[in-house]
Amino acid sequence: MRKDQNLGEYLRAQGVSRRGFLKFCSATASLMALPPSAIAQVADALAKARRPSVIWLSFQECTGCTESLTRSHAPTVESLIFDAISLDYHHTLQAAAGHGAEAARMAAMEENSGEYILVVDGSIPVGNPAYSTIAGISNLDMLKETAANAFALVAVGTCAAFGGIPHANPNPTGAVSVSDIVTDKPIINVSGCPPIPVVITGVLAHFLTFGTIPELDALGRPAAFFGQNIHDRCYRRPFYERGQFAETFDDEGARKGWCLYKLGCKGPTTYNTCATLKWNEGTSFPIQSGHGCIGCSEPDFWDKGGFYNPISAGMWGSRDALLGAAAAGAALGVGSALAARARKKKAQAAEEA
Amino acid sequence: MSSLDAIAVNTEVVTGNVEPLLHEVRHALKRLANGEDGTVIDLRSLPLAPGEEEQIEAALGQGEVRAELNALGPSLVQETSYPGVWLVTHRNAEQAVVGRFIEVTDMPELLKSQQADIEYGINRLENELKN
Amino acid sequence: MTLLDFASGPGMQWALWIFVFGVLWRLVGALFLLSRKDLTKPRQYNSVAAGLGAIISRSAPAHAFEKRILFQHVTGYVWHFALFISVLFFAPHILFFESVLGFGWPHLPNTIILITAIIATAVLITLLIRRATHPVQRFISNADDYISIFVVLIPLITGILAFAHVGGRYETLLAIHLLSVEVMLIWFPFGKLMHAIMTMPARYQAGTAFGRRGVKA
Repeated sequence: MRKDQNLGEYLRAQGVSRRGFLKFCSATASLMALPPSAIAQVADALAKARRPSVIWLSFQECTGCTESLTRSHAPTVESLIFDAISLDYHHTLQAAAGHGAEAARMAAMEENSGEYILVVDGSIPVGNPAYSTIAGISNLDMLKETAANAFALVAVGTCAAFGGIPHANPNPTGAVSVSDIVTDKPIINVSGCPPIPVVITGVLAHFLTFGTIPELDALGRPAAFFGQNIHDRCYRRPFYERGQFAETFDDEGARKGWCLYKLGCKGPTTYNTCATLKWNEGTSFPIQSGHGCIGCSEPDFWDKGGFYNPISAGMWGSRDALLGAAAAGAALGVGSALAARARKKKAQAAEEA
Repeated sequence: MSSLDAIAVNTEVVTGNVEPLLHEVRHALKRLANGEDGTVIDLRSLPLAPGEEEQIEAALGQGEVRAELNALGPSLVQETSYPGVWLVTHRNAEQAVVGRFIEVTDMPELLKSQQADIEYGINRLENELKN
Repeated sequence: MTLLDFASGPGMQWALWIFVFGVLWRLVGALFLLSRKDLTKPRQYNSVAAGLGAIISRSAPAHAFEKRILFQHVTGYVWHFALFISVLFFAPHILFFESVLGFGWPHLPNTIILITAIIATAVLITLLIRRATHPVQRFISNADDYISIFVVLIPLITGILAFAHVGGRYETLLAIHLLSVEVMLIWFPFGKLMHAIMTMPARYQAGTAFGRRGVKA
């Protein structure tokens, strides 16, 4: 796509008919979790959209987010969206390496100053900058430098959004999230470990379509995807209501697809769209596959007392302290009873005397 | 997939979303009959249990019109046994479903020839005739 | 640390410690006061039968007052029964008890729990209003009564809200529910809620004491 073309012209030049474009818009609106009534609006905006520059920085991460994205299930739609953006720097996907790659980043930053979108996956170590560097530049410095002239930031994955696994107790690298470092730019948190691929592209599509930040929830996540918790939209919810639970992973209840609450499902406290969009071409999602939600799109999901601990169970290790409190209470009870008797005896003695 | 298919999956699971959806379709049809605007329902926006989408399909049945169009991959536009209710399935070039909608309308927008395409066609025809 | 993390972690831990400590302090203290020798010659009696007899006889209204206290009596039973069902047979609650006690028990469907919880809440509110408006009840009530009612009422209301996902995000409602339970646990040993543990032993003790003296009660 040429810089002076808008998306409508580009698609027409590619031989895509208006029908094809409308179909693309329906899929995109569905992708952005917009109501179908918004398709016409999407079509209008998309036809006029211009190609935004995207710089993608990867810090302390496992590349799972990029893996997820590159395996997203609607190649035609996604590839069109990717054709429609200019991915100017992504050190896992780009051919260039070393100084050439860094030069591309600098060039994109200069050319599109104030207009490019900065996508970040991975957390930033602030304990010791040497824990993670790219081309000799610490993650912290690279983020600050690249964010300075960005239009907006997209923190992809729970590591970038909330610190994620590197941030988990005891957090040896002093890992923090993007929003802990950058405070003067709009940041969209697309959390998940990894995020659902169509959610990543959905956010990019929103940028492309409207050139604005989508409506966000209290944790900075797009409300369209993170507005409802898994439990509320789970197809196994009726079993929860009826009190039908799988007690183990291989019992009758598990085979019948009953609720996984007792096996530690974090669905009630997890906000994501897995239950509706699902994964792998809409095939399934963890609960449908028989495993509870681990709450990977929530802050500190790694430190919530264990994936297999039910939500309503207390989060502490041993009962010994409780027995200690019981013993101390009993001892005090004996003591106070004896003291009361002693007082009474004394009073009686005083009376008799 | 064959080994996966061999595992018996119990689908006694129901969300109870099928019947409300059919009621929504009924209300939309009544509005359409009264001359109001059509309605589009995105099937991806509903939590459905395994097998429930098939239930919806079966409940709607197949009607007289079945149109296939090829634009950025195949799309199937199928009128259901209830006139005015259409099931639209968009696939990409790899045959993966990229969108699934129930449209309550007398004619799905996508089946109409589009103004922009008509103009483009006129240009093309004129060029053909000039040569 | 989020509110929920605090509520289900250190908050609950401290509340349970204080609860167990306080309950045992009062219970053991009371039991140790019992063991004084009674030098009188007892009547012919069976102490266990007398104790259990008192527990049973005091579970029904005394004949003389039957009509006058019928409302209180019925609502009292309904309230306690509904509360016990709601607290003890809701699946998430049992998982909590299991994490504390190390064992669990069968649960009831959520719909039944929702009904009992609503009944319990409605009855308790009715009794609270009656206590605040009825001249005699008002007269014999002190701050302890009102505090004890409130610390039980709030967990009921927040529990229903959390269950129905009404009035906020689930994790916030759940955290508030847990915190309100913690307040109740901390208050429990030091106020009239302690009756839950003291009532039956007290009746038994009174029964045996009466029995020893040949009083039928």
